[in-house]
This record gives sequence, structure tokens and C-alpha cells, in this order.
Amino acid sequence: MTRHPLRLVALAVGVAVAALAVVLALQVGDDQLQAQPRSELLGDGAPDFVVTTLDGEKISLESLAGKAVIVNFWNSWCLPCKQEEPALKEFYERHRDEADFAMVGIIRDDTKKAAGSAVDERGIEWPMGWDPGGRAALDFGTRGQPETYAITPDGLIAGTQYGPASVEGLETLLAAARGQR
Amino acid sequence: MRAALGVLALAVGTSAAVLGIATLGLGLRRGDERLLRNGRRYVFVVLAAAALAAAAMEWALLTHDFSIEYVAENNARATPLLFTITGLWAALEGSILLWALVLGGYLAFMARRFRERATDPLVAWATLTGLAVALFFFVLMLGPANPFKTLADVPSDGAGPNPLLQNHPLMAFHPPMLYLGYVGFTVPFSFAIAALVTGRFGEGWLADTRRATLVAWGFLTAGILLGAWWSYEVLGWGGYWAWDPVENASLLPWLTGTAFIHSVIVQERRGMLRVWNLSLVIATFCLTILGTFLTRSGVVDSVHSFTQSAIGPMLLGFLGIVAAVGIGLIAWRGDRLRAPGRIDSPVSRESAFLANNLLFAALAFVVLLGTVYPLLAEALQDRRLSVGEPYFDRMTTPIGIALLFLMAAAPALPWRATTGEVLRRRLLVPAWTGAGVMVAAVVLGARELAQVLTFGLAAFALAGIARQFAVGARAHGVARVVRSNPRLYGGLVVHVGVVLVAVAIASSSSYSTKREVRLRSGESATVRGYTVTYLDSDRERSGQKTTVSAQVRVERGGDDLGVYAPAISTFPNSTSGIGTPSVHTGLREDVYLTLVSSPNERGRVTIGVAVNPLILWLWIGGGVMALGTLIALAPSLQRPFRRREPTPAVGLRRQNDEEREPVPV
Amino acid sequence: MTRRLLPWLGLGLVVTVTLAVVLWPDGAPSDSARARALAEEFRCPECQGLSAADSSASTSRAIRADIRDRIEAGQSDEEIRQAMVDRFGESVLLKPESGGLGLLVWGLPVAALTLGAAGLALALRRWRRQPAMHATPADEALVEQARS
Repeated sequence: MTRHPLRLVALAVGVAVAALAVVLALQVGDDQLQAQPRSELLGDGAPDFVVTTLDGEKISLESLAGKAVIVNFWNSWCLPCKQEEPALKEFYERHRDEADFAMVGIIRDDTKKAAGSAVDERGIEWPMGWDPGGRAALDFGTRGQPETYAITPDGLIAGTQYGPASVEGLETLLAAARGQR
Repeated sequence: MRAALGVLALAVGTSAAVLGIATLGLGLRRGDERLLRNGRRYVFVVLAAAALAAAAMEWALLTHDFSIEYVAENNARATPLLFTITGLWAALEGSILLWALVLGGYLAFMARRFRERATDPLVAWATLTGLAVALFFFVLMLGPANPFKTLADVPSDGAGPNPLLQNHPLMAFHPPMLYLGYVGFTVPFSFAIAALVTGRFGEGWLADTRRATLVAWGFLTAGILLGAWWSYEVLGWGGYWAWDPVENASLLPWLTGTAFIHSVIVQERRGMLRVWNLSLVIATFCLTILGTFLTRSGVVDSVHSFTQSAIGPMLLGFLGIVAAVGIGLIAWRGDRLRAPGRIDSPVSRESAFLANNLLFAALAFVVLLGTVYPLLAEALQDRRLSVGEPYFDRMTTPIGIALLFLMAAAPALPWRATTGEVLRRRLLVPAWTGAGVMVAAVVLGARELAQVLTFGLAAFALAGIARQFAVGARAHGVARVVRSNPRLYGGLVVHVGVVLVAVAIASSSSYSTKREVRLRSGESATVRGYTVTYLDSDRERSGQKTTVSAQVRVERGGDDLGVYAPAISTFPNSTSGIGTPSVHTGLREDVYLTLVSSPNERGRVTIGVAVNPLILWLWIGGGVMALGTLIALAPSLQRPFRRREPTPAVGLRRQNDEEREPVPV
Repeated sequence: MTRRLLPWLGLGLVVTVTLAVVLWPDGAPSDSARARALAEEFRCPECQGLSAADSSASTSRAIRADIRDRIEAGQSDEEIRQAMVDRFGESVLLKPESGGLGLLVWGLPVAALTLGAAGLALALRRWRRQPAMHATPADEALVEQARS
């Protein structure tokens, strides 16, 4: 009696299932949502962004050349943004007077009106830029907010933080931007 | 109190499953009929326990008992009654509970139906297998997915269900339907395992589970289409299918299940494909578990995936055991499974069924591969990749069209072999009808291959089905002929539904118009003949939700089609707004309105306007498929469903085609 | 014989001509069609499962605007894809690559289908060649047992 040809198929399927099971087993426990995505821009030149602050002043990467820059993507309705606000404020107070330091907020996915009143109400003092068409948010490859980027004086991205930042985290970012990691 | 009741019920269910398995196992070993009769009774205890646990959960939800973690996370005092009730399946633990309840129901039905055959080893083994599956889900609930976990600090109010899940009444139907489908495949699976163990893999187990399989398939079909409808009405992106991992997970068992429903017929007629049918049933069951694993363990991200949980490894382990047992049993029985039949001609009904199965299997393979490819890429090369619509569309469209062709041609093919004369008589007119529609479509401007082929084949199929009904009806009248072979005619009605769905998919995927318009109050814009006028907007708070809605008047050629109110809602437990589309539904096309952004400082809103052709026919097609399934379930007048006597196999049976024409062999 | 085949030949001719009309190349796709097709290939980075063409998230609109700008600036599809990958990484592409690991996901189903079809064809040929089997009494006993 010849062997049933489907046995071979069954064997192949069995092997494939086993391989799949091994792959799946390797992934269990790998928490995808918590794993920090790595910015593709790390180490590359920062995008050439141009934003207009709510007071009407133009800020661009070029105008900030020579400074270590912290760029923070933010909006009025996002809860984690609210959560990181005290840390940003404390950090900004510490460094605002340093000549080689700049910090820019960029409004992401919000209306000008809501953002403007939130900035006034919450007493946010660093310049907050309006990003027409979400151009800067796209060029930085943002996936949401808050996201914070550190840019070196010669315009390279030195560090990124996805989600709410802490004061220590911000200091680390700034140190990286100044080349003192 | 409620938690205690729930846990008690779960414990009772678990013990009943264990005792049932032990009793049946012992009875089978000793051949003790008394034990076998007793063993099956535990099935009812399992059902009662699951029902009690579900009732305890509903009680806790309705009384807002926030001392239970699940209630605190998925309910709030302000949650409307409907979504309080649906809270049972709003998250992982509750849906496992629903799973156990549905499984208990199916097993109890099975035990009742086969009560006279309680001592039949086939039935006993099937019951034992079903109880083993139930045991797994009860253990899951006593362990990592405990729905009755209590909180030490009882919050004064709960978080409320996920905003997306409290936005539309379809939420009350889509998940239970899907579960009735998923879980129903446990019955044929149990019988397949029983057939392998007892060595009775003839046609007996197929006849025994034919209905259960059809019921499960019907529910799964309805569940998938309701899900598509929900997605269309709630998610607001204008589509109904995004090849999301969870959608794929529900499609996979549907594909293998559909293949099985067809290939079963070949085994009944010709006694062939035994291994294949057993494999399909086991694969279908495995795919329901795999789907649950993929979407509930957090290994793939999806809109549907609930929070991470420890049930992943357990589901994977269970899947491994099921697959190993299934493949092992088939390998062990391999030689005895060899069927005596053969296929005489490549142009015959059975060959068409083989091709159908090949295509369905390929479709399932494509969907599975596309879904797990990101995991493979990460495991093999540590790269993060995605797979989406462009891949699935490219791969599934040709297979889908080939299946449509088979659906049009195959029902007209006789069994065993055919002649040119038969083909000419049965297929020529329908085929020319299809060709005519193709030409008409091209003349009217259709230029996409997939669409033109779909329209042509749809017409081909419809004409063929109409011919088949007409031939039968001429002799005996529609009602008589349908009742004489409900399975055949019910199947044909399902095919009509599939044609409608295929046409709706083909037209909506390439003839939709989508635009965004920015309007101030009183301004209007025209999109593909429809004039939309923005009237005003409202802000409303109800319960936890704050809703901004825009009143939009829709007109066409001076006819007022009414005022629609697309909205954006915000919930305290979600960061981004949830858009609620508002749809003007028509037989020819839908006008699909979304509020993209609420009024800005200058009072301007952005409204998304999409005109989607023939979408309604997707849901109508789904209804027709459900109707066809119901017809197919009806008992046949000619051949009443026989319990003990399976249909004769190995080609002994008389031709029972709709025309009974002598076919030269 | 030919009289009988005539209606089928006619059918084949009509279908072939129709398909030829459908497949006749009608010039390069328009810019907006290109933009739409490209947007469908990119995953919306801040939502799950939807493409940039389907979602109305802020990033998706920015991506769509960016694609239009780049097409106007005369960039090729490949350049635009590369620009997206540079920002968001490979996972932004919804369409698996055509080489490397992508061969697996594109090629395996085709290979499986071809193998399956070949297997079926082979089995059919074998069945046709071998004479119909006559059941021996042992076989019949087995069948009886299996059907019980």
C-alpha cells in the first residue's frame, strides 16, 4: 500500500505550525506598546522647520543655529502633555537665561484658539509655535504628542523622548544636545 | 457578594468539567454504559455554571458594583443601560466568560440532541473533547483572566467602557454573533477528534455535525458582516474593512469553514477527502484559538486588542496542544483514512469542489501569512514592518475572482463527468449574460480589470442560479423544489448573497468619491451631485460624553434628503476625539458625512463628504446569506434527516441533481 | 463539431476583446491618482491599521499634502517612499518589499497555490489512467465499519 500523499502535506503543515508557534512564543511577553520606538532621525540633521509663535514671531531651525535646542510637540487637549507640564516649566526656568539654550513648543493637531487660551491659562512661557499644515510635525516623524527632540548647535538630532518627559530626562536630552553625554 | 457568587460558579463549572471528563473517560475505558450516561449530564452543569457566572457579572454591571475590577474598568454610573449590559463583552475577561457561556450552550444542545446515543463511543468522545475545551476556558477564568477579581480600594465611579464600544447599538449584536460563530466550530471539532479516536471516520460524524457546522458558519458570517457594518457606522473613515489583525482573525476560520462546508459534500457523495475534511475542521478550530491569541495577547497591535494580559502563553499552549493532538491523530490514523474513491473527470462537480478548496486554503494562507508577517520579520531580522491593504488587496483579489468564477460555473456541473451538451444547455446562456454585463460595464466606462470581471462573473453566477431555480420550479413550483432539497437551494441563496457582497465590494472600492470641505454656517459645497450645506453646530453633554455635532443638510438636484449630524465626541478616558459619522443611505449610493474638525475661531468646520456606491447591498447581501443558511438548515421533505444512517458513500447514490439527467459515465 | 463550439468561441472572443479594451494602456496615471495610490501604501503613524489615505488624523493629512508637494516637485514614487521611511522607519510601508524577506510573504502563497494546483492535476491524471477500483470484500467490510 502506498503512503497517502496527504501525509506529506500534513507533515509540512505540522512543521509550519511548529515554526509559527516558536515565533509566537518568542514574542509573548515582548510588550510592543511599551517598547519605545526609535526615532529614524537620531543622529541625522534636524528637519528645517519654520513655525510662527502665537505672538507672531518666526522661529526656524536656521534662526536657532548655534544653540542647543529642545523642541517639544504639544497640544491643549492631550493629557500626557498636561502631565509633563510641571517638568517642562521647571526645566525651562533653570535654563532660560543661558545664551546657548533655546526651547520651542510646537502645536500639534490642535486649533490655534484652543492652544492660545491653554498657553495663557496655564502660564506657559516658552515660545509656542503654530505649525501650519502639520509640516514640522511630519518632518520630525512624530507619531503623537508629547514628543521631545534635542538638537545640537550644529543642527543634528541628539536625542528623543516619546511620551511625557521628566526633569531628569530633559536634562539628559540637553546634555546630549551639548555633546556631553 | 456578586464576586463570590461568580467565583463559586466558575469553580462549580471547572469541577463539573473535570468530573465529566473523568466519568466519560472511565466509562469509555471500561465500556460502562452507566458511566457514559452519567458523564454527559455534567455538560448541563457546565452550562448552568457559566450562565450563573454571566448572570453574576450582569448583576454586578447593572448595580455598578465597582468592587469588581472588571466592572470598575468597563462601567461607570453614567453609562447608558444598553452599554452597561454589553459591558459583559467590552473587554477580555468578560468576553472569555461569554465564550464559556456560548460553549456551554452548544455542548448542552449537542448532549441533548444525541441523548439517545449517549453510550455511543463517538458521541462520548465528542462530549469529552467539548468538555476539555470548556475546562480550558474555565481554568483561564479562574487563573489569569478572572473576571471577578476584586479591588481593595473601591472607586466611587468606574472608568466606563472604551469610547468606541459605547457609540453604537450594533455593539450589542456584533460580538455575540461572532462568538456564536467562533465557538460553534467546537462541535464539529469535537466530533472530528472523536471520529479519529474511535476510528469511525466515515461519513457518520459529518452527518452528525452538519447542522452545527452550518449554524456556526452562519453566525460567523453574520458576525463578520455586522463587524464591517459597525466599522462603517462608527469608525468614521468611510470604509468597512481595513485588514486589521482582528478582522483577519475572524476571517481565517470563516475561510477554512467555508472550504469545509463545500468539501464535505464530496465526502458524502464519493467518500473521498477524509483526511482533508478532518484537517479542515481541526484547522478551523485552531484558527479560532489562534485568532483569540493574536488579538488578545498583544503580540500584534490592532484597534481591537485589549490590554496586555497573561493569557497569551496559556492560549498559545492550548493551541499547541490542539494542533499536536490533531496532527498526531491524523498521522496515526493516516493509513486507514485512505479513501476508496477516485475522480473521473477534471470537468465535474467534485473537481470543482477540489479547486474551490484549493483556492479557499490559499486565501486563508495569504491572510494568515500577511497577519503574522510582521512577527516573522521581527523574529528573523529584528525589523519592524507592517502589512496592510496594498498587500492583501493584491493577493486576495485574483483568488476572489477565481472563486467567483467557480461559484458561477460549478453548481451547473454534474457529478462524475460531463458532456459538451450538458455544458451548453446549462452554462451557455448564463455565461453570455455575464459577458454581456462585462461589455456593458466597459461601455459605461469601467476600466479596472477586477471590477469588470467581478461584474461579469456576478451576472454569470446570478443567471446560473436563476436558471437552476427556474428549471426546478417549472416542474414542481419554487416552494416544493426548495423543500425537496433545502441544502442545495439554501446554498444557492447564500451564493446570491455572496454575489451581492462581491459587487458591493468591487464598486465601493473603486468608485467612491471622498472630499473634505471647509464651510462657514450657511455655506454649501457640492460633491458628485450632492449639495451639502452646513447649518449650525451643537455642543452637548450626556453622561460621560461631550459631543460636538454639526447639522448638515444634504440635497440632490433640489430634493431635500434631510439634515444629518456628524459629530465628534470626547470621553474623559480617552485622549483623542471619537468621530461619529452620519450616513444618508440609499440603494444606489450612500452619502457619508464626518465632522473632521469642530468650529474654529472663525466658525468654520471641516466636513468630510464621501459618496460610496452600493454599500447598502453589502448588508443586504449579508441578510441574504443568513436567509440562505436558514433555508439550508431546514429539514428536507424528500430525505428527512436521518440520525443513525449516514448518507451512502462511494458513489452508490443515485444522481440527485436538480434535473436528474442521465449522465454518461 | 465546429457548429457546437461556435457559441463558445464567440463567447471567448467577446470576453477577450472586452478585457483587451480594459487592459489597453491609457497613458500615465494622473497626479492625483498617483498621490492616492501612494497614500494607500503608507500606514498612518498615529492610528492603528489604517492607511494615510483612509485616516483623517493630523499626520495623515500632512502626509497627503506632502505627497502632493513632492509629486509637484517631480519626485519619483521611490523617492517619496524613501522620504517617508527616513522619517518613520520601515514600518510605515504597508506593502512588503519585493525582495529579501518580502519574497516570503509575496512568494510563498503563489508557490503554495502552484504546488497545490500541480498536485491536483497530477492526482486527476493518475485517477484517469488507473481503471476504476473494484472493492474487495475486505474493503467493503472496512467501509461498513467506517459507516457505522
